[in-house]
Amino acid sequence: MSSDQELIIQFQQSINREANFTSLLHKHQQKVYYQIKRMVLDHADADDIAQLVWIKIWNKLDGFKMESEFTTWLFRIAYNETLNYIQKQQKQRNTLTNNDLLDYENATASSDSPKSTEIQIGLDRAISQLPEKQKVVFMLRYYEGFDYEKIATIVGTTIGGAKANYHQAVKKVEGFIKKL
Amino acid sequence: MEQMNKDTTLEQDRQWAETLLNKQSLSQFNLSKTDAPFNYFESFPEKVMSRIENEKRQQKEKRNATLFFLPSFMQPLNRVAIAAAVIIIVGGSFIFLNNSVNKKTAASIVAAPISIQDLSSEEIEAYVDTNEWIAEIDVQSQMNKENTRLSTLDENQIEEIKNTLYK
Repeated sequence: MSSDQELIIQFQQSINREANFTSLLHKHQQKVYYQIKRMVLDHADADDIAQLVWIKIWNKLDGFKMESEFTTWLFRIAYNETLNYIQKQQKQRNTLTNNDLLDYENATASSDSPKSTEIQIGLDRAISQLPEKQKVVFMLRYYEGFDYEKIATIVGTTIGGAKANYHQAVKKVEGFIKKL
Repeated sequence: MEQMNKDTTLEQDRQWAETLLNKQSLSQFNLSKTDAPFNYFESFPEKVMSRIENEKRQQKEKRNATLFFLPSFMQPLNRVAIAAAVIIIVGGSFIFLNNSVNKKTAASIVAAPISIQDLSSEEIEAYVDTNEWIAEIDVQSQMNKENTRLSTLDENQIEEIKNTLYK
């Protein structure tokens, strides 16, 4: 399989643009979708945001200068799009209500996911209440295994800031679970 | 080595989170957030590409619609003709105005009355040196003005007229 760089260069040189773009899409679509879904929970929302992210990538890929890894850039766009979506939603709803938490738990317990335990529900609620930046830093570090430099670029902070966000996230979730 | 250090730190971070939270719950949380409808990822690229195509088509239609509703003078083909006309008008006006300014300047030079008394003797001498025959006519006209004839004048009177002219 061609590397991201090869695919991007060919795309930028207008060689099989659609084929090269589709290759990139196949390669990274799952990680992008999961990152978004961990933040918005609902599949329909995640699907819509993921589509917007890839349309944006199509429109901006010609200007991508490869100063950073493609995945860093991709996750940054995904993060920003998700954040925009959440902010729009929050404006509509103003604050997170109990109904949102109920929706969250339903989403968590839906489909083929393992049966939720008390700790599981507590953890889900705790993570859902984290500030968006802390939440995404935690996800990218714990689940994706990204290094802090990459995380810092994605969320637009320093390496120290990313580390602090990870530690604060874990501490906050722990505190929330202890209260249960 | 650097990669190993990074991995170690990552492992440490993960272990720290797992001791404070709950490893099983954390993995279940991830499972619940990484499920997607059956065959979703097979059809997703097609969905994205069709949206991109739609967007392209819409943009094209929008551009065409904008052009269609533009007044005729804003249509691209007419722009060249308009630009040419503007250049001709501006250029023509410039040439015309420039000429009339030149004419005015010339006219003002001609119209300005120059009295022989205003000229210095050096200027008159220089003029006479280069245009002797004209100078003679000037002397003659001066004599006519004073109602005298050359034949009736003696040398002193001629000298006097000359002096008057050269002063």
